[in-house]
Amino acid sequence: MRAYAEGLVLAAISLVAIWGAWQVPAASPGDTWAGIVPFAASVALLGLSILLLVGASRQPAGPAPTSSDSAVTLQIVGLFIIALIYQQSFRWFGYLLPTAIVAPIVLYIFGVRSWIGLAVSMVICPLVFHVIFFVLLGVFPPYGEVFDLLSWIQG
Amino acid sequence: MEIFPALLSVITDPMLLFAIVLAAAVGMIVGATPGLTASAAIAMLLPITFYMSPLFALAFLYVIGKSGRYGGSIAAILFNTPGTAASAATQIDGYPLAKSGKAGKAMKVATISSVIGDLMGDIMLVVGVGFIAAIALKLGPPETFAIYFAAFVVIGSVIGKSIVKGLASALMGILVAMVGLDPISSEERYTFGSFDLSNGIGLVPLMIGVFVLGEVFAQLEERRKASGETKENESSADGNDLTWEEYKPCLPHAVRGGFIGAGIGVLPGLGSAIAAFISYGEGKRRATNPEQWGKGALEGVAAPEAANNAVSGPSMAPLLTLGIPGSTIGAILLGVFLIHGIQVGPTLFLTDKELVYKLFACGMLGIIAYGVIGYFGATQVARLILKIPTNVLYPLIFMTAFVAAYSARGSMFDVTVMTCAGFAGWLMRKFDFNIAAFVISFVLAKGAEETFRQSLLMSDGGALIFVERPIALGFLILGVGAIAFRIRGIMKERKLAQGGLGDA
Repeated sequence: MRAYAEGLVLAAISLVAIWGAWQVPAASPGDTWAGIVPFAASVALLGLSILLLVGASRQPAGPAPTSSDSAVTLQIVGLFIIALIYQQSFRWFGYLLPTAIVAPIVLYIFGVRSWIGLAVSMVICPLVFHVIFFVLLGVFPPYGEVFDLLSWIQG
Repeated sequence: MEIFPALLSVITDPMLLFAIVLAAAVGMIVGATPGLTASAAIAMLLPITFYMSPLFALAFLYVIGKSGRYGGSIAAILFNTPGTAASAATQIDGYPLAKSGKAGKAMKVATISSVIGDLMGDIMLVVGVGFIAAIALKLGPPETFAIYFAAFVVIGSVIGKSIVKGLASALMGILVAMVGLDPISSEERYTFGSFDLSNGIGLVPLMIGVFVLGEVFAQLEERRKASGETKENESSADGNDLTWEEYKPCLPHAVRGGFIGAGIGVLPGLGSAIAAFISYGEGKRRATNPEQWGKGALEGVAAPEAANNAVSGPSMAPLLTLGIPGSTIGAILLGVFLIHGIQVGPTLFLTDKELVYKLFACGMLGIIAYGVIGYFGATQVARLILKIPTNVLYPLIFMTAFVAAYSARGSMFDVTVMTCAGFAGWLMRKFDFNIAAFVISFVLAKGAEETFRQSLLMSDGGALIFVERPIALGFLILGVGAIAFRIRGIMKERKLAQGGLGDA
């Protein structure tokens, strides 16, 4: 089942890539087509996905995933969703506020259960990262379009 | 000869010396921490190097890479958990030695052998790199494309469990690199109308995502599955010191391992794990005490460790002379060169020769630095690692990944790329796809495309140009031969497995 899924996902990716390469306009006279390498690579990928599917049809069925496997996968998907929200919230709220919220959440996910530690992380994490990257290295911090804690602190 | 003034110049620069020693210590800690890799550390530190001089940045990351390879042996010997894939070969004899109270002795053999192997590799690099660069200058686009082709195929097919998945990973790396404007005609490719995508996918966020965030996801998975805690194997009273009589039989294995590692290091993509296992196998075949190997032979630690570290220097040769990174660390270092506007390839030895030799000098001093720290302090490093609370470490790495990706160009799109690359990296790991092939192919793709299209223009669109030129044909055959060789190896393994089952 897993081998079939891998083959099908790869086939889907290669079909999208072939379609994308096909959208590249034709070359002007005396030039080479800009889509030649993407097209060749995506066709080769389609060939490999067919090989994977053929291989999957010959394999005996593997063991079904256990409930603990599914739970772990769900946790990682959950962390990925947190990561997506975290990076998006930089655009809305700048760096400090999202980091102050996400730091204790991620620490909790990784097993930190000390409430004092989690509370301290809300202050320490944004502060330390802000000082290292935005003060010492001089990187310009992302500005929050909705509310920016840094601007509020700086008055 | 250029190396001597370069060495003198580096030795007289206290800041650079400090950076080398710091990098040696950082690399050792990172390499010895199970789950953390030198690639992850280098990727995470990559944006910081924007603010350093090119030599300082390159030397710092290069020495972390070298020291990280050695650091893997600390975890392999003391914790029975290889810190890197290459140190799995060291674990075979290193852990039994540690269990019998000879952890300190095994660590000292690993340190001396690593230093011997690494120095041998660097000396061969210094001697040979100029010749390779001179030859590379004479290669035309068809020959260069054929080398790229061979690199793609070797990287995709030789490393990893599955040839099909390895090659698929390499192709996906090429496809991701194609996103953005075509450098020749400025036509948009895979941009789907997005302005952000028209600038292409950045190397730095991709690296941070795949190596750092992807590793955090993988560690979360490991932590949920793993049980029990890691304990250090301590040395008995006489198990800490190493005498010359004890190391003497290890020396030929270390020197042979150095040659094997250096030879394999020049070939892109093969990497230190393959070198370590070949050296271990060859050492056991030639050993006077093969029955002891696997049960705690010091020679069984020396052979793989020397080979593992000897890969480091020569793997820089294809990177510096042809722009083809031989390893993931090489791919990241290529990013540093590009960040600082230095064009890697044969012309590098005409434009920035001094920088290159100073980098080699820093590498050699880095070897001595991690040798000294490791010889006298490996067990202290192990104790420090056991004190690091991983449930705090990985969340911190998680958050560093975001701010590091943002710092590279001050771009929020880069942060999004990093996040998606992290999840994709974890999926690739989980489904046994080849991350190294993906990343190295991503880096190589632009150069390969350029030379391919230049070749087609040279021949008015005829692909026969690659077959008509003997050097190009040779490399194409090498690529196809690599796949055939690997398929033969897999078939042989299957036959052996079936035979074994039949006998049972």
